[in-house]
Amino acid sequence: MKKRLYSIAFMFVLTFFFAAVVSAVKVHNEERIQTNQQVKLQRIILRVLGVSVDEKAPNREVIQAFERRVKPIEEKGQTLYVGYSEDGRSITGYAFPVGGAGFWGPVYGMVSVDPEASRILGIAFYRHSETPGLGARITETWFTKQFTGLSLFPVEGDKKIFYLKPAGPGKGPNELDAITGATGTSRAVEAFVNRDLDRFLRETWKHVKKG
Amino acid sequence: MPKPLNSSQIFLQGLWNDNPVLRQILGICSTLAVTNLLVNTLVMNAGLIFTVAMSSLTVSILRNYTPMKIRMMAQTLIIASYVIIVDIAISAYLPDISEALGPYVGLIITNCIVMGRCEAFAMKNRPWPSFLDGLAMSLGYAAVLLIIAVIREPLGFGTLLGHQIMPDGFTPWTIMIMAPGAFFTLGLFVWFLRAKFPQTAGEKKQGH
Repeated sequence: MKKRLYSIAFMFVLTFFFAAVVSAVKVHNEERIQTNQQVKLQRIILRVLGVSVDEKAPNREVIQAFERRVKPIEEKGQTLYVGYSEDGRSITGYAFPVGGAGFWGPVYGMVSVDPEASRILGIAFYRHSETPGLGARITETWFTKQFTGLSLFPVEGDKKIFYLKPAGPGKGPNELDAITGATGTSRAVEAFVNRDLDRFLRETWKHVKKG
Repeated sequence: MPKPLNSSQIFLQGLWNDNPVLRQILGICSTLAVTNLLVNTLVMNAGLIFTVAMSSLTVSILRNYTPMKIRMMAQTLIIASYVIIVDIAISAYLPDISEALGPYVGLIITNCIVMGRCEAFAMKNRPWPSFLDGLAMSLGYAAVLLIIAVIREPLGFGTLLGHQIMPDGFTPWTIMIMAPGAFFTLGLFVWFLRAKFPQTAGEKKQGH
């Protein structure tokens, strides 16, 4: 009996001690971790809105640029990031999150459209667990820059705004290069980006236009 | 009871004679997972070295007070605490690498080397030798990972630590980036070393 009580007391003290240490470390670093995540998202939003920020720019600079050029608004439960021109007078575009199931895990991205919601300005994927060198190439510039300028009005007779097709000549205006060797990831990206763009155009855009 | 090992013997054991990856084939999961980029491997190694050394030290300090029946539970708690500290530190100071390593930092908890050293060494030895043993064993693990990463990253990406080192026309071997590439590299590496430097009776017999 005594032995058992000792075991319980030992485990209790040990747990208490280590939980305290771990909590202290966590609390001490919480702010820094949150800032890291926030700045990472801000960098992505600035990038898709076409505001160039040096990749090595310190966090403080990113936060300043973000505050000057971007204003987040809530519209129908969706967060929209409104991009403003350098002088702050005119709107340059709207950015909003896209994302869904990739091939191995969830993919998170950000897309932006021009002020008339007629074309895509830019797209970026910032969190995923796709295979490095294959599916993970969705983050590479050659892949994302294909989206820039893509018309949001579907080509007559097409169900989707765009298609990812195996790389090759003879492409329609809404056919982009898929990633060779990552058919699963390409299909997934095609599906959820189309879905999220469609949802934005049908649900959110009407309210934004009204003001 | 065998005579306690001195420091240099402990290091010889960990780095070579009883190397966790080469000789014991432990910690393979993370060996396969994090060795496609050298920078990820370096951070993973640092995390593992800290965890193994500190866990062994702590377990050894507490070894005379820990009831035998609940020692595993106590060890798991100690290991998990250190791993969480490593995870927090990486996500606070190296956010990009933290993203790249994903779940593998947390999975250090399940790395057989950590608990293996606590059970096999730290429970029976004084704190300082236990700390050294943890250090030696994790350095042995780290050395193997580094070698595999130095093979995989140039072949898979054409780079080393992010710098282009392969000639321009080089076609990256995609398989080296994925798990099968790691299996081949590790398998060939272990085979080569064991054939060249046989240790067990079975290995010696085959060698001659």
